[in-house]
Amino acid sequence: MPEFSQALSQKEFVVTLELDPPRGVDTTRLTETAKALQGRVDAVVISDHRGATPRQSPLWAAHLLRESGLAVVLTMTCRDRNRLALTGDILAAGAAGLQSLLLVSGDFVTLGDHPGAKPVYDLDSVQALQLAEVLRAGSDLAGQALTGAPELFAGAVAAPAATPLEPQLIKFRKKLQAGAKFIITKPLAEAGQLRSFLERSGGVEIPLIAGVEAAGPEALDDAARLLADLRGSGMARGVHLSMPSAPERLADLLKACGL
Amino acid sequence: MIVAERKGFEEIAASLSGFRKVLVVGCGTCVAVCLTGGEKEAGLLAAQLDMAAQLAGRDQVFEVACVERQCDREFLDELAARAPEFDALLSLACGAGIQFLAERYDEIPVLAGVDTTFIGVNDNVGVWEERCRSCQSCLLSTTGGICPVALCPKGMLNGPCGGTADGQCETDPERACAWTLIYERLSRTGRLENLARLVPLRDNARASLPGRRTHPAYQRRYSAHA
Repeated sequence: MPEFSQALSQKEFVVTLELDPPRGVDTTRLTETAKALQGRVDAVVISDHRGATPRQSPLWAAHLLRESGLAVVLTMTCRDRNRLALTGDILAAGAAGLQSLLLVSGDFVTLGDHPGAKPVYDLDSVQALQLAEVLRAGSDLAGQALTGAPELFAGAVAAPAATPLEPQLIKFRKKLQAGAKFIITKPLAEAGQLRSFLERSGGVEIPLIAGVEAAGPEALDDAARLLADLRGSGMARGVHLSMPSAPERLADLLKACGL
Repeated sequence: MIVAERKGFEEIAASLSGFRKVLVVGCGTCVAVCLTGGEKEAGLLAAQLDMAAQLAGRDQVFEVACVERQCDREFLDELAARAPEFDALLSLACGAGIQFLAERYDEIPVLAGVDTTFIGVNDNVGVWEERCRSCQSCLLSTTGGICPVALCPKGMLNGPCGGTADGQCETDPERACAWTLIYERLSRTGRLENLARLVPLRDNARASLPGRRTHPAYQRRYSAHA
C-alpha cells in the first residue's frame, strides 16, 4: 500500500488532493474519482465534515480509498470529538493501517448547516498532535498501556494567509514542538504569503505542502498560476489542492501546469 | 454579573395559561442591572400580561413582587406570606434564582420569564458582553486578562485557529479574534513569552459536574463531625 510518507521521501514535489466523503451511503462517485486519480496524485486528503456539514465518517472513506490503492491522509477535527473519541478514532485509523493524519481544530459549527450542534474542542490542534505522539508511544492519556500502538504520521495545518501573522507563527512553532511530521497550509492567495510566513517562521525542518484552492471552474487558471509559482519557488515540498466543486477537473489543472 | 434576556411575550403568556393568579417576581441584582428582570421590568410585564388577558377575556390576575436576590434564602423568605395566595410564580431572575425560588416554594409552580445568557460586563449603555464561562480553572494571568475560553468560540488554549482574518474571528467578521487581542496585549506589556508554553489539556472534571463550594472558614461547620 502506498503511503504519503513514502511519497514525501521519494518525490521532490508531491501533489495531494482534498476529497469529501459523500453525504449519504453511496460511495460510487468517491471511488470513481479515486480510480481516476490513480497515478495523478501522491495522496488524497479525506476531509472531516468539511465546513461543519455532516458526511460519512472520514474513517470509512479513507479506508475505501486506501483499499483502492491510493495513499490517504485522514483529516480529524477537534470540533466533533472529545479526548475519548479522538483516541478511539486515531486507534481505529491505526488499526485500519491509516497512518497519515491531519489533525486540525475544524471549521466552527455555526459556519455549517447544523449551526445548533454542540462544538466540542476538548483539545486544540496542538494538543491533538500531542495525543497522537502519546498514542504512538504506546499508551493513552491516562497512562494505560495500549494493546498495540498505532503507527502514525501526524501532520498539522498552518495558515500563512491569516492576519495578523505573528500569533499564527507562535501556534505554528507549537505544532512543530508537539511533533507534527508534515504541514499542509490553508489555501494561499499568492506565493508571497508563504514566503513571508517562511521567512518569519525561523525555519521549517519538516515537509510543508502549500494549499491551493480552485473554488470554481473559473478559478482554475488562477490556481494553475499559483501552482506553477509555488513549484518554481522551491518553498514547498508540494501542493495540496482543494477543488470542492469539481475534483474531477484536477486533470485539467495538473496538465495546465505541466505536472 | 449575570446577564439575562427576557423571554418573548407570547412564550411567557402561553406558559401562564391555566393559572388564574400569578405573582411576577423580579430580582433586584444582576437582572435588574441588565434591565431584564428588576422591579421595573416585573411591573411592566405584569401590566402587559394583565392587558393581554383582559383583551382576550381571560380571568387572570397578575401582581408584582421583587426581592433583593432570588439566589439567597434570606430574601426569598420575604415572600412567605404572599406566595401561597398565587397559582403560579413567574420568576424574572437568572436560572439560579428561578431554581432557588422553586425550591423555596416547592408546592407552587414556578415559571421562567427570562433566558440566562452569560456572565458578562456592561460594555456600554444597554450593551452587555460575555467575559467568563466559569470554567473553574482561570487562565487570565497568562493570557493578558483576556479569556480564550469565553471569547474564542473554539476555546483554543494554544493560540489562534487559522480562521483569523484582519484580526477578526472566522465565525463573525464583526467579532474580534480573542487570540489577536491576547497577542496584542501581551505584546504591549512585554509578556509574549507567556504564549510560548505548550498549554496542557484542560481538566474538565470539576466543571463537568454541578458545582458546590464551601468556604474554608465554614468547612468545619458543615463537616460530618461538627
